[in-house]
Amino acid sequence: MNASDSDEDIYNERSALVRSESPALPSYIPDSDLTPPNGTPTKRLKAGISRRPGAAAADGGGSDPEVEAEEEELTLKYGAKHVIMLFIPVTLCMVVVVATIKSVSFYTEKTDQQLIYTPFTENTSSVGRRLLNSVLNTIIMISVIVVMTIFLVVLYKYRCYKFIHGWLILSSLMLLFWFSFMYLGEVFKTYNLAMDYPTVGVIIWNFGAVGMICIHWKGPLQLQQAYLILISALMALVFIKYLPEWSAWVILGAISVYDLVAVLSPKGPLRMLVETAQERNEPIFPALIYSSAMVWTVGMASPNETQRSEPDEEAEQSDGRAEPPSRHSRLLPEDEMEEDRGVKLGLGDFIFYSVLVGKAAATGGDWNTTLACFVAILIGLCLTLLLLAIFKKALPALPISITFGLVFYFSTDFLVQPFMDNLAAHQFYI
Amino acid sequence: MNLERLPNEEKLSLCRKYYLGGFAFLPFLWLVNVVWFFREAFLKPSYTEQLQIKAYVKRSALGLLLWVAVLTTWITIYQHFRAEWGEVGDYLSFTIPLGIP
Repeated sequence: MNASDSDEDIYNERSALVRSESPALPSYIPDSDLTPPNGTPTKRLKAGISRRPGAAAADGGGSDPEVEAEEEELTLKYGAKHVIMLFIPVTLCMVVVVATIKSVSFYTEKTDQQLIYTPFTENTSSVGRRLLNSVLNTIIMISVIVVMTIFLVVLYKYRCYKFIHGWLILSSLMLLFWFSFMYLGEVFKTYNLAMDYPTVGVIIWNFGAVGMICIHWKGPLQLQQAYLILISALMALVFIKYLPEWSAWVILGAISVYDLVAVLSPKGPLRMLVETAQERNEPIFPALIYSSAMVWTVGMASPNETQRSEPDEEAEQSDGRAEPPSRHSRLLPEDEMEEDRGVKLGLGDFIFYSVLVGKAAATGGDWNTTLACFVAILIGLCLTLLLLAIFKKALPALPISITFGLVFYFSTDFLVQPFMDNLAAHQFYI
Repeated sequence: MNLERLPNEEKLSLCRKYYLGGFAFLPFLWLVNVVWFFREAFLKPSYTEQLQIKAYVKRSALGLLLWVAVLTTWITIYQHFRAEWGEVGDYLSFTIPLGIP
């Protein structure tokens, strides 16, 4: 396959979108128009309870420590539930990627083709040269991402929604049709099956069209989640194939740092995106994020739907904007039903987690390394969600997990693996 | 998208759109329609639009069965006779298995 520019674009869009994706802050919830003005006691916000203006006002009045403690408990309890809700899709994505890497050799074959964003080759004679090339590749890649992110933020600021939507649709079209076509072809070649064009055409057409409908319009939640997981896995596989070895690791590290900076620093593009979206009282590209639950507001069906159906590839692309869950306090009398917003995680996070684990599976020693990275990422995700429950604002989901993943990968590959091998060789059990 | 929270007219409209969309060579869409609206159509207490939703679900299921039959037949024929068809078989093939069976 030719690594065409369109791959790059997809990547750019996705990662760029990732960057620009900013999670909504708690006060930013879709029915934020219902929320009372900022004068609301922070206690209500702290408990992460969704708004019900009248009740909130009434609630805010009596700050009962007991009530507060109960709310905190609820938040933590639901925080735990949301951790699990995110573990499953992240695990699934990684499983798909690792399974493919281990079985379909296409994605681990050495190829001299590289993305144009990583022009420096790694087939150099000396180690120093190779290291230099990978660092240069990383710099180019990260600057491309930064530029795309800023471009996206500018587009968003100037309300060029049509452009953004068109971009997103194009990018998901590419992923759903072209990449899955390639993937299917490789799977058939691996298992030595004959397949004819008409059947393949029908399969890809169905997969792609239903995917577009589910992601960008309306569809069953589970199917939408499944598609998001699948396209993240496909994207991760492309990265694993076309990023040179050392560049991939350096890029992973650099992207985590960039993610941290972009989301948390006051002048970061992603933070600006959040603030702009907040000012306009709009949800930030909901379609590009994996959401673990349906957002709904009692008595406001339509705003939810429109926001659901907004094509937000970028949002999906955004890495690690985990949105804090907001829960209706059952203390509010008029709230009969629960509003469980679930937690949202950007698709870019899925992609980079899977890239890390996939690379570990492709180039690491054996299953020890892969499992270690997998566990590291999940631990990182857990910690990130914990921080989310504590701070209740948009947080980058990449840094902690990727750091743990990298640490575990290198230590397992270079320390634990030889150690275990030696022990086994000498039949020494500990 | 949670069906529970949609008003009935919108459910009907969604079901109808999925049904019509399936005619664009999209049996998968019909499958999604059937699975997603099954409970709405058959297991819920009746409401005004339910009859129509039922009709759409049944028709989607019918269309799906038809497609499955056609595809199965074609795949069987292809897999069986591919080698014998020679050039035409290769022309039709997306992947050709290697080796000698």
